[in-house]
Amino acid sequence: MEEIISIKNVVKRFPVGDGFFTALQDINLEFKKGEFAGLVGPSGSGKTTLLNIIGSLDTPTEGEAIVIGKDISKLSHQQSADLRNHNVGFIFQEYHLLPVYTVYENVEFALLLQNIGAAERKKAVMEALDWVGLTHKKDSKPDKLSGGESQRVAVARAIVKRPAILLADEPSANLDAENAHNIMKVMKKLNEELDTTFIFSTHDEKVMQYLDRIVHLKDGRIEKDEMMKAKYGVHGAH
Amino acid sequence: MIKFLFKGIWRDSTRSKFPIIIVAIGVVFTVTITALLTGVFSDMIDMNARFSTGHVKVSTLGYSENASQNPLDMALLDVDSIIENLTEQFPGMEWVPRINFGGLMDLSDENGETRGQGTATGQAYDLLSKDSKEVDRLNLEGALREGSLPTKSGEALVSQKFAEKAKLKIGDEITFFGSTMYGSMSFQNFTVSGLISFGNPALDRSGFIIDITDARQMLDMQDGATELLGYFEDNKYDDKQANVIKSGFNKTATDSTNEFSSVMLTLKDQNDLRSLISFADNMQQIMIGVFVLAMSIVLWNVGLLGGLRRYKEFGVRLALGESKGAIFRKLLIEACLIGLIGSIVGTLLALAIVYPLQEYGFDISGLLPETAMMIPSVYRAIITPSTFYLGFIPGILAMVLGQALSGIGIYKRETSKLFKELEV
Ligand SMILES: Nc1ncnc2c1ncn2[C@@H]1O[C@H](COP(=O)(O)OP(=O)(O)OP(=O)(O)O)[C@@H](O)[C@H]1O
Ligand SMILES: [Mg+2]
Repeated sequence: MEEIISIKNVVKRFPVGDGFFTALQDINLEFKKGEFAGLVGPSGSGKTTLLNIIGSLDTPTEGEAIVIGKDISKLSHQQSADLRNHNVGFIFQEYHLLPVYTVYENVEFALLLQNIGAAERKKAVMEALDWVGLTHKKDSKPDKLSGGESQRVAVARAIVKRPAILLADEPSANLDAENAHNIMKVMKKLNEELDTTFIFSTHDEKVMQYLDRIVHLKDGRIEKDEMMKAKYGVHGAH
Repeated sequence: MIKFLFKGIWRDSTRSKFPIIIVAIGVVFTVTITALLTGVFSDMIDMNARFSTGHVKVSTLGYSENASQNPLDMALLDVDSIIENLTEQFPGMEWVPRINFGGLMDLSDENGETRGQGTATGQAYDLLSKDSKEVDRLNLEGALREGSLPTKSGEALVSQKFAEKAKLKIGDEITFFGSTMYGSMSFQNFTVSGLISFGNPALDRSGFIIDITDARQMLDMQDGATELLGYFEDNKYDDKQANVIKSGFNKTATDSTNEFSSVMLTLKDQNDLRSLISFADNMQQIMIGVFVLAMSIVLWNVGLLGGLRRYKEFGVRLALGESKGAIFRKLLIEACLIGLIGSIVGTLLALAIVYPLQEYGFDISGLLPETAMMIPSVYRAIITPSTFYLGFIPGILAMVLGQALSGIGIYKRETSKLFKELEV
């Protein structure tokens, strides 16, 4: 199984006042293509910080983070934007749909950034909306959607460009149990069908049930890295 | 992508409404004031051309140097042959002789006794020739308040103001005392045929208008004129053309050692018009500059407020793989679009204001100071081709400048900080 993310001896410090706050310490991790993994830990343990480094929105203070063969620390602004544009999808706790645009346009936006032609764009957008079961809401504005629907649009927006990696930061935090399960099932299905690598950050038991692997973080360090094969079968078995 | 941005602007009225209004206001001011300035100055040029300067003017060197004193002894002679030469040399131009003169006006009562006297300046125009355009050019029909225009030799028009002061009526006799161009005493009786008022202090100061043939006889200047005014065929002043004609004429005609040799001046050479016109041009530029600056500052702050609200959106777009540079560029494109919309709205509004000002103008004759300047008493705007695009320059420039200044914040922030806006 090919390695898609490789993190070696990563340290992340944030300047605070006169000194530094160490948010990540001695992180060594590898993710393989098609993994459905989660970062779990208490608030402040560094989950988001680590996801941001993987998504090249931030760089490590020390160590090396290689994502799809690219060293995050060495990318220019433009190169890291390109990496996100083509290879990384983000899903947030707060959905963050662009409020003035329709569901369709929100999903389309990711493809517009890639200069994809109109016909191809339309096909991809409709397909993505179909995956999340929202084709009938394509002309709605985000403020007319429920939380669950909004998060599904966010999933469609992230997946429409078929990224290799999808990073989801507490995607279920604002959802009720039913919607949380729904969204996880959708993502699990995409993981299996498209072989997309998913990495979650979560406290949520409902999310954890679906994960093949859980990396436990505490105070910026890896506490435990466990495979959850027993529950859902060996990942990547398909 | 532009379409996508346009949709965003169109739908997010809180983001775009205020800037559009500001841009539109600025554009309305710029366009209206410019059209008005253009109108007033072109009326001013036109008025000067008609009454005083022509598009070009020929006189003797000595006369042109002391024109305000009307030195009759420096008048041009052999005017007919001068006109003939000019017509040959510069086909298409029209040349008209005029005489400006000064003297005493004497009013007598029924018994022939003098009941009043005053100094008067007079103008002699070709009023009686059949093909003369002077009556139209000077708008004498329009300025006539009472009576009629002279129809025969010996009749005169008198300014209404003067007539009121002197209790003159139509049909009264007045006597003009002056000196001939050779310095001897001359006097002549005229019948008042009409009273005129141009509604303009500079024009109404002159007392009295007669036909040029009468003046030539009275002033003993057969075939003479104090000045020869040249007009372009289309009646529009063209500075470049005027200068070509001027240098062509002066090269052979002017002899700086001979004050009786003739010299040609362009419209701009006279009545301080050159500095006035360049003052107007500068004013216009300064005004547009001030508007751009003021609007930019307002729009900068509007952009800052809107930007804070949009940091979240920028965060999402960064996550979706847009670079900071691309976001900034799109902000500028958005600014162009908003500037464009504002400019279109502003230009349309301005046209709505300017159009009636062009058709009717507003009368400021009541406000006009007693000035020697020929300023039109009705302010009229003029819609020129530039009226349609001029507003777009400050409109778009200010919006882009304001947006660029406020958008620099994106560059200043680290990507991860912008992204942090996404967290709650
Ligand atoms: N830009 C920053 N500047 C300073 N400190 C930061 C910055 N970003 C994160 N931190 C600190 O680093 C630590 C880890 O933050 P992070 O957001 O990764 O935690 P988390 O595990 O995602 O927590 P949560 O579950 O609350 O989202 C926190 O203590 C946070 O205050
Ligand atoms: Mg977090």
